[in-house]
Formats: sequence, structure tokens, C-alpha cells
Amino acid sequence: MMPKPSRHTTTLATGPTAGRQARRRADAQKETRMPEATPQTLPPDAGSTALPPMLEVIEATHRYGDVVALDGVTVVARQGEFLTILGESGSGKTTLLRIISGLERPTAAKGVRIGGADVSELGASDRDCTTVFQHYALFPHMSVRENVEYGLKVRGVAAFERRKRAMEALELVRLAHTSERRIHQLSGGERQRVALARAFVTRPSILLLDEPLGALDEKLRLDMQEELIAIQRNLGITFVYITHSQEEALTMSDRVLLMKSGKIAQEGQPTELFDRPNSAFAARFMGVENILEGIIEKVALPYVTLSTGGHSITGQWCGKSTPRVGAKAVTGVRAERVRLSNVNEAPASANGFSCRRTASVYKGKYLDLTLDTEVGPIRSRLWDVDAAPAEPTFIHWSHDTCTVMDP
Amino acid sequence: MTALALSSSPRRRWRLPGTATGWFTGWFLVMWIGVVVLPLLIISAFSFFSMRQYQIVYDPTFATWTSLVETGRWVVVLRTIRFAVSVTFLEILVAFPFALWLAKGCRSAAVRAGVITLLTIPFFIDASSRIIVWRSILGTNGVVNNLLVGSGLIDKPLTWLLYSDFSVSFGMFGSYFPTAVFPIFLTLSLIDDDLIKASADLGASRLQTLRHVILPLAMPGIVGGIVFTFVPLMAAWIEPQLLGGGQVNLLGQSIQSALTNLNYPVAAALSTIVIAVLVLMLAALVVSLRGRFKMSSLFQSLDR
Repeated sequence: MMPKPSRHTTTLATGPTAGRQARRRADAQKETRMPEATPQTLPPDAGSTALPPMLEVIEATHRYGDVVALDGVTVVARQGEFLTILGESGSGKTTLLRIISGLERPTAAKGVRIGGADVSELGASDRDCTTVFQHYALFPHMSVRENVEYGLKVRGVAAFERRKRAMEALELVRLAHTSERRIHQLSGGERQRVALARAFVTRPSILLLDEPLGALDEKLRLDMQEELIAIQRNLGITFVYITHSQEEALTMSDRVLLMKSGKIAQEGQPTELFDRPNSAFAARFMGVENILEGIIEKVALPYVTLSTGGHSITGQWCGKSTPRVGAKAVTGVRAERVRLSNVNEAPASANGFSCRRTASVYKGKYLDLTLDTEVGPIRSRLWDVDAAPAEPTFIHWSHDTCTVMDP
Repeated sequence: MTALALSSSPRRRWRLPGTATGWFTGWFLVMWIGVVVLPLLIISAFSFFSMRQYQIVYDPTFATWTSLVETGRWVVVLRTIRFAVSVTFLEILVAFPFALWLAKGCRSAAVRAGVITLLTIPFFIDASSRIIVWRSILGTNGVVNNLLVGSGLIDKPLTWLLYSDFSVSFGMFGSYFPTAVFPIFLTLSLIDDDLIKASADLGASRLQTLRHVILPLAMPGIVGGIVFTFVPLMAAWIEPQLLGGGQVNLLGQSIQSALTNLNYPVAAALSTIVIAVLVLMLAALVVSLRGRFKMSSLFQSLDR
């Protein structure tokens, strides 16, 4: 990791109008250092409130004609944070990325700052952040090394120096042996890593990744996830990662920002989003299999009891609003939290219903059961098939694993 | 392809091609030699014969070639090359920014379609009628002179507007502008917008993006534009005939007049010169772009 305070002072001192010069000077300082050369030690004041956040987008709104792509979104990321922006296509996540990179100017924003410096008037070429494009956008007429050198070349770094730094970057993504190859001679995963090396060789403060693993097959995607995490830890650069895959978001990020139609639906650490989704949308997106609608009948925080089809279900309140009796709400429970038994009684502090098995789907590692109950069909996932009854008559799930949230 | 009998390996014996590609390549070469190379050789051969009483005398002689030098006709060759090179240069200079705007700058698909249609229309009109119109525009009593004199900007009509190097170059420029624009436009529109965005994102200025990304990727189109402009310009005769008014003599006209005088050896010799110049020019082009550009990629994007 590189020494952050020096970079901060550089960026702050030069102000918003001298972006490129600031970057050139910062480059000159960085020239002799490569990520693996310096040990990963944080300066004592790293992360303290004295430092401005690495990225700040304050209440950004963007419209394409009449379509509101982004609606007053605020994003803040720390130095060295791995922030994931999660959402379906059309949720505004790509627009947000383009606003950060400077490829798009927001219709309105209270501020766009990188490293504390206002960049809202700067174009993409003058901002201290680079993008890894979804389809890599590698230059087909250049060799692998020339691609990686490009950012240094346009900054006027001498040929010998930029060659050295490009090779170091390629080494970091384990592709030094392909340096003289043409882009079309590389596999998808290799192209991905070249795009990554090209983006970080100039040592930007922020790296933006636009669904970078979308075009890869599953095995490669899993490998690249680990590799990306390792590279991010090694470089200490702030990563802003765009994806529609909740699995990628959960595995890789320090913090996840879930977007829905131009707004932030939920924001938090991966475990927070996974265990405590705050709305039916967030719950569905995070893969909660069982979601039931109902009316709140009792509030005893942190627990809320919901009435659905004449039956009561109690769970922890996760919604953003304050729960009140009579309001609509939904409750959710993950399939693997649903317990099966032949004893027709729920333990204390659990929701229980009698059931009848209607279908089971063998998935190799686990078995998915669909069970008919008084509150509707409930899905249950069995990881240990032998330990569970073959024909269960009763299911239950604890109040603590059950969530109640905004509809 | 390597199955073709005309393989480079000297040890291999002649045999029939074993693949469909081999057969097609073979047939294409046979046809090409028969239809292109053979007539060219015959034309060149004719330049070494002479004419007597409108009959060709099949006695090899350098008489035609020596007379070309002695009568100063070789000046025409130089003048033609000068015209072809300078007009091609101007075409590319104007066509590239125009094509760049059309392919990447123009946001409206309707405007783009309209411009392309407008560029195509001249191809439907006969070249002579298209060109002769300029006489009434550029002439001493033409529209331009009338406007300039009428507005009091000049006292006497400009005489260099018509029947001059200017009018011939001008006519040539207009005729071959579309053929210069189209190949460049084609390769430019095949450049992925993400590459241009990536270049800016990596810190390149607009000029750097143009130099390091757009120009190299547009090279096939630029070479195509040069070829499609330069080749017909070397043989152009309508523009010098109609707008030169006998003041501007180029190879195309000389060949034309030699043919009407039934002076076949002179026509053959002049044609041979045109072909030799074209071959030399193309060779120079390919050599100067060696390594950066393959002729086979002329009509495809370097992206693929």
C-alpha cells in the first residue's frame, strides 16, 4: 500500500482546477513505488476523521429526457474500501458509475469529490479515477504491454520508466509472460486482468469496475473474485464495484449499496444486507425464498408480530420506518432456516405450522423441499438429508432468524 | 489453402488442391491472370509496335517511347501525378474530419442517414453533366464572378476560376469526395465507443485519443480512401477535358486523344505508365504501413 497522506495533501493543495497537473505530480511521487514493494502498513491516522472520504457523491440526480435514472443518491467511500453497488439493470448503478468517472455530468448534484477535491467540473481524463469497462475496452491495435502503458504514455512518462511500471503491473496480475501478445490472442479472463492492470498502473485513487466479471464463465468468475480481492488489498485503492450478482457483492465487498429505480434501497455490510433486508425488494434481491405479506398486530421491539391469513408470525424488525400496529408489512425467512420435524409443536420463540410435502428438488449439495402450510407454500433447504424426517408434518423457524420489514 | 499447387515449397510436387479454399483460390488466380494480367501485358506489348497507315506493324521498336520523351509528353505524366497526389491529399484532409463527425460526432441517426444519401446521389448522375455545370458557375460571366463583381469586392471577373489548374482540381475534388469519405466513415463507425471513452478515462486528451486510438484504428479506411481516390484520379479525363479548356493536359485525355487518332502504340505506352505509377504508389503505401496494416483488413475493422 502506498502512503496516503502525501497523496491527500497533493490533491487538496492543487484544488479542483489543476487536475491533470496534480495527477502528473502525484505520478512523479509514485514512480518509484509499486504495490508489492511496500509492506501493507497503514499510517496511524488512516481512516480517522481528519482525512476526507476518498469518494463523495452528494445527492446526485440524473435524467435522460423524462427518465430519472438517478434520484438524489449520496455515496461516500473511505480510502481503501471495497464498495459494491448492487442492482438490476436499469436501477441507475451504471449511471452512478459514469457520474463518478466523469463520463457523464449529473443533471444536479450538491457535490462530486475525489480525495476531498471537487471534481464536478472535471472531465473523465482529469479525474483521479479509472474505469475497468464491462467489455474491457482494450485497444486492439496495441500489444498487452502497450495497453497497460497507455495511461502512463499520455501522461508523458518516459518510455523506459513506463515499460518498467507496466511490467510490474502485469506481474501483479500474473500476466508478465503475455506482454508482447496481441489482445485477440488472450482468453476472457486474461483480457479482464489486462484491463485491470491498465486501470491501476497509473495509481488512481479510485478504481471503478463495471460488472467486470459479467462476461466470464462461472469457474473463472469465482477465481477472479478472489484475485480481485487480493489485488484490492494489495493496492489499497478504493474499489467501486458494479454488479447485479448478490453473490459477488456478498463475497467481495466491505460495504454494499443496493439500488432500486435510481434510489438506494439499502446500504450496509454484506452480512447486514444478507441477514437483515429492510424491504420486500431487498429481501427478494438478497435471495430470501419465503416472503409473506400481512398486517402488523403487535410491536415489541426488536420483535414485531405480523398477522397473515389469520396466523401470527413473529420476527425481528428490520424495516427503515417505525413499525405501527395496523400497517402493512412483510415477513421473510430463508429456506435453510426452516426446520422440519414430526413433532407437532413449535419451540418457544419460534413460528410453527403443520405442513405437507408437495415437491422436492435434488440439487446435489442440498435438497429443496416445497411444503404446503396454512400460510401458503414454504420452501425449506436441507443440507443434511439424513438428519431430517423424510415426510415432515411440522415446520418451525425461530423469531431471531425471521425478519419483518417494510413492504 | 496451402494445398494449392503453386505452393512456396520447392520440394513439393505439383498436385491438385485438396480443399474448397484451394480450389477457389486456384480458380480466382486463373481468372485474375486471364482477365487482368494478360490484357495489361498485351497493352504493354502494343507500346513496342508502331503504326503505318492505320495498320499496326508488329516489329518491336522503342520508337513510341523515345518519341514520348522527345515530344515532352513525359511532362504530362508528372503533371498527372502532381494533380492526383495533391487532390488525394486534400480529399483525405477534408474527408477524415468529415467522416469522423459523421461516424462519432453526429448524434442524430436521421441526419447521418440524410448525409450519406446526399453523398450517394452524385453517383446516379452522369459525370459529364455533373461537371459541365461548373462552367456556368465558375466562368467569367458565371455565378461566382457576377456575385463578386456585383457586390463590389472585385472590379474585373476572376479569370483563374475556370479553365485553370484550380477548376480542374476543384472538379476532381467534388467528384471523388464521396469515395474518400465512405471507406473512412466505415472503419470509424466500427470503432467501439468504449475504446474512445477508455482512452479519455485513462487520462488522454482529445488530441491524444485521436492520435493513439482513432487514427491507427481508422488506417484501413484511410488507405481505402487513398486507393479509391488516387486510382481513378490517375486516369481522370472528364474534369480536365471540361474544366481545363485545353489549358490542363493530363494522361487520361492524352490516352483518349491517342485512341481517337487510332494511335494505339501511344495509347498503350501512356496506359502502361499509368499502371506502373499505380503499382509503384500502392507498393510504397503498403511498405510505408508495413507491420501496422495488412491489405486484407482493408474492409474490416481492426477490432474483430
